[in-house]
Amino acid sequence: MAKGGTKVTFGEYGIQAVEGHYVTNRQIEAARIAMTRHIKRGGKVWINIFPDRPLTKKPAETRMGSGKGSPEWWIANVKPGRVMFELSYPNEEVAREALTRAIHKLPMKCRIVKREVGES
Amino acid sequence: MSEVRIAAEPRTEFGKGPARRTRRAGRVPAVLYGHGTDPQHISLPGHDLMLALKTPNVLLRVEGLAGGAELALPKDVQKDPLKGFLEHIDLLLVKLGEKVTVEIPIQLNGEIQSGAQLNQEMVQISVEAEATHIPQVVELDIDGLAPGDVIHAKDLKLPAGATLAGDEDALVLQVVEPKAAEAEEGAEAEVAPATEEAAAE
Repeated sequence: MAKGGTKVTFGEYGIQAVEGHYVTNRQIEAARIAMTRHIKRGGKVWINIFPDRPLTKKPAETRMGSGKGSPEWWIANVKPGRVMFELSYPNEEVAREALTRAIHKLPMKCRIVKREVGES
Repeated sequence: MSEVRIAAEPRTEFGKGPARRTRRAGRVPAVLYGHGTDPQHISLPGHDLMLALKTPNVLLRVEGLAGGAELALPKDVQKDPLKGFLEHIDLLLVKLGEKVTVEIPIQLNGEIQSGAQLNQEMVQISVEAEATHIPQVVELDIDGLAPGDVIHAKDLKLPAGATLAGDEDALVLQVVEPKAAEAEEGAEAEVAPATEEAAAE
């Protein structure tokens, strides 16, 4: 379970991870583009995760040994409950559709959360 | 604002095992402190507390304490991030007539000029008010605001009895011209390689 970043802090709506998964830099960028293209203008997007962890891979058809593989992907290690993206947009219907499109680009089960009244 | 009565039971055993037993029994572990007194460890009924906390900054009358009933405000609420049930609550002792600093949501009324973009930097504002008369919201009329208009904390009309507790020059919201669609596309094209480069490092 995520120890922090589990609430919508900056925007009005957010995408919360329901299960844990690695999220690559490409998936984050794809989700951001899907969201910003749908809202066109008049909204603001926040990305609360950063792919700061390298994952390595040994090339195909190589023998074991001779050192560690080279970095292949950069990922963010996302735990359940983490709010990964936040969005502020005046129209709730459009905002939810934009977030749904972004969820389709992410590898895990997610849900849309809204900032509660009085929640800091 | 009326107070909500809630029955407390003292807690005598501590740690994660007893806390879990308390939660299984439908109660929420809580701690009550303030005014230089020793903290009191109590448990509160989960459902009643959840209903009471639907009102921001609700004033609770905690009954069943050793020294009689006490007034308290929720200071910190811990919830399960996925299931949403209450895990623990910190309560701050208050007295009748005492002034407390609380965060109050800002409610926007009206529509800004069409085509303009609203950047709301602050959704809650810190105010000082009497514990028994804490306002629910701070209303802000944004009807007809045009690009270039800026509202600071000092421009808010606070409810009677409340005074601003934070920085009066803090930016609450501003109305700006929306970015052109072409510029945004360009920005996306710029951001994408930058992310790749950052990752490659």
